[in-house]
Amino acid sequence: MNMEKIDLEKGIRLFVLPTDKFKTVTTSFCFHRDLDDDYTYNALIPAVLRRGCEGFTTLKDIQRHLESLYGAQFSVGVQKKGERQILRFSMEVVNDEYVAEQGLLAQSLYFLNRIINRPVLHEGRFIKSYVEQEKENLKNRIRSLINDKIQYSLERCVQEMCRDEKYSRYVFGSEEELDNLDADRLYSVYKDIVRSSPLDIFVVGNVDPEKVKLLLERSLSMERRQIKSIPITPYKKLQIKQKTVTEEIDVNQGKLVIGFRTNINAQDKMYFPLLVYSSILGGGPHSKLFINVREKASLAYYAFARLEKFKGLMFVSAGIDVDKDEQTLDIIMEQLNAMTKGDITQQEYEGAVNSLINSLKGIADQPSHLIDYYLDNSITESNITLEDYIERIENVNIDQIVEVSNNVVMDTVYFLTNKKKG
Amino acid sequence: MKREIVSDLLNEKLIHYKHRYGLNVYILPKKSYQKQFAIYATNYGSNDNEFIVPGEKQPMKVPEGIAHFLEHKLFEKQDGNVFEAFSKLGASPNAFTSFNTTAYHFTSTGNFYECLDILINFVGDPYFTDKTVDKEKGIIAQEIIMYQDNPNWRVYFNLLKGLYHQHPVKNDIAGTVESIQKIDKDTLYRCYETFYHPSNMVLFVTGDIDADRVIKQVDDYFDKKDMSKQGRINRIYPDEPREVADSVVKDKLPVPRPMFLLGFKGEAVQKPSQVILDNLILNDLILDIMIGPSSELYSRLYEEGLIDSSFSAQHIEETDYSHMILGGESPEPKKVVDMVYQEIEKLKNKPWDIEYFMRVKKKKIGEYIRHFNTLESVGVQFVSLVFKDIGLFDYLERLEQINNDQLQTQFNNFFDDYKSSLSLILPG
Repeated sequence: MNMEKIDLEKGIRLFVLPTDKFKTVTTSFCFHRDLDDDYTYNALIPAVLRRGCEGFTTLKDIQRHLESLYGAQFSVGVQKKGERQILRFSMEVVNDEYVAEQGLLAQSLYFLNRIINRPVLHEGRFIKSYVEQEKENLKNRIRSLINDKIQYSLERCVQEMCRDEKYSRYVFGSEEELDNLDADRLYSVYKDIVRSSPLDIFVVGNVDPEKVKLLLERSLSMERRQIKSIPITPYKKLQIKQKTVTEEIDVNQGKLVIGFRTNINAQDKMYFPLLVYSSILGGGPHSKLFINVREKASLAYYAFARLEKFKGLMFVSAGIDVDKDEQTLDIIMEQLNAMTKGDITQQEYEGAVNSLINSLKGIADQPSHLIDYYLDNSITESNITLEDYIERIENVNIDQIVEVSNNVVMDTVYFLTNKKKG
Repeated sequence: MKREIVSDLLNEKLIHYKHRYGLNVYILPKKSYQKQFAIYATNYGSNDNEFIVPGEKQPMKVPEGIAHFLEHKLFEKQDGNVFEAFSKLGASPNAFTSFNTTAYHFTSTGNFYECLDILINFVGDPYFTDKTVDKEKGIIAQEIIMYQDNPNWRVYFNLLKGLYHQHPVKNDIAGTVESIQKIDKDTLYRCYETFYHPSNMVLFVTGDIDADRVIKQVDDYFDKKDMSKQGRINRIYPDEPREVADSVVKDKLPVPRPMFLLGFKGEAVQKPSQVILDNLILNDLILDIMIGPSSELYSRLYEEGLIDSSFSAQHIEETDYSHMILGGESPEPKKVVDMVYQEIEKLKNKPWDIEYFMRVKKKKIGEYIRHFNTLESVGVQFVSLVFKDIGLFDYLERLEQINNDQLQTQFNNFFDDYKSSLSLILPG
């Protein structure tokens, strides 16, 4: 199975992965944006666009159309990858061979083009009521982050840790920006997205790349101009002033999050050892955190480590009793120190490598994971195949892991706790 | 006994084998997939809190949360935990406990048959000591507390408490921090012996797998065991009144805006599998037509800012109870609820649009087909159906036959004299 890469017009790259193992064809349009001052506008635009386009001017028209295409799954989204925002428009349709309908892929491309390039307008601007409602929805979405305490505590740690960096910006934008939203600017940011953002189009399923290319050339109606390149996310920070932040709200369980700088990003050759390092630390039941924080000390139900590969960050997170933060922090730091000393058992090393390989192989079984994998490749400008990636993981040795561990520096300790404590 | 079940609609083939001890084994071969997925489940969940052990006379009542506790403890063995064995083979194991089932599963990308061996062996070989049981209480207490901080979880369990007087579905699956303190190794062994007999269990595997090899492996494992046939487990569920326990359940949490769930209670009676399947399909379709994203009502609610993408609706159909649930975040939950009630009356009194029905049906067909892309999701779906005696392909085949009149009749019956409860979480 190989991804075929085809350059279309200005700054548009098509990635097609022909395979007959899936029952559907998945298409994703991914616009790349710098996480700059427009970030709140970027986050709002897909939400406004999904409200209506020429031919399907209301949410109901769109939904009815999707139903008639055998429950086509249409979604929009926004993701943060380093200091970059990805605006995604996706559609998944059942393969023609399973239903009494032909040309679902063509319909799907036609529809996505309409949504992106032919929004319903009023006097050359987005419909006011759509903008107002989606602004409100986005604001609520930002506020609702607190309903998921694990995500909330991770996001808060990022904000504290990267205070003076673009990376501290929340992927869905800021409430304040939404309150002061400028409708004219919203429309011009939209125009800027379709005209000058790098665009990757992914198609995964039982399709012929040449045919997809022809279909796209026929259905796409974009006026492309000069394409803006997106700066590489800065990921090195050596002068660190460690800080501790405690936040008190009404919770039963405390959430401890520790943010680290790894000073290694996905383009670095040391990235593969870093992946193994992070997996040994907290990548599953084989990991030091699972064994020592959960199984041995019985302190937590979950304790894990997670990497942000474009910004070179690592976060350790655990849900614990509100009075166990110090004890937990000590155990976590013991695990990190052990790794610096090369105190890694064969079992931990193998468990980490095997578990990484297992998830990498699994990517090939899920269209959305495949798209995400190749999107990351597109960002790092890499052509690495899944097979090569796996080989790189297999070749990581303990010395490299120890070397990596010396790059990892603690930056911020964040603790979400309840008022009783303070 | 081995047989093949074929679906032309899906272009899939399911192989069924029944071992003489009563274990049902199902293999769904998926060529060209990298992953393999196996799930080994018992027809035993948090609802099974009172039962008569086969061969005994007196009913036994156990602490809330014991099925879930047992799930945690099966991973631990005398010589360490099972995770290590899986991890050596590069597989990731996990498990879940629901109201009605406990399931152990793994995803592998190689070494499948070795992993399967570990799965069958560890589920078949309990090891509980006072010390390991005690240690687990700390971990599970943190799990319970974690869910208490989750408003989506709270609004859901508050609703179940509003809907049901007696039925154990109103209790948290993991129990409470207090109830799990009462769990000891002897009770765990008793529950294990009652519910983990192969005749109460099912094994489902999918991926690029050789069915005969799986069957042989199961035979080899059980042939070494000297097992007796198990009699029927008598599960005791209290009588559940038709009425709801509370029409409104309110709670205050630090949420940015109100959250609500409206539940409609079905009758709590035992049903045959054909009825369960029809209810599953028909009530899914009803929800789509009544308040799905393409409905008149959804558009009105969305455009008036009363609901947003946090809104969802689902129907739960089990052998001995059922309920329909809808809700999300809203600035004015009461207004949404009133509009839902009005819509129900409106739909009762007018003929349904046949085109709309056809479209929604098409959508469901597409969704069911798509779902066969993902091994894990097929496996979990399979387990949720098999203990209701519904086959993996039955849903799609039956869905194709459903017509608009049936749907409207079902709607009128379900909402004839409905019993509903509203769960509200208010900011505070």
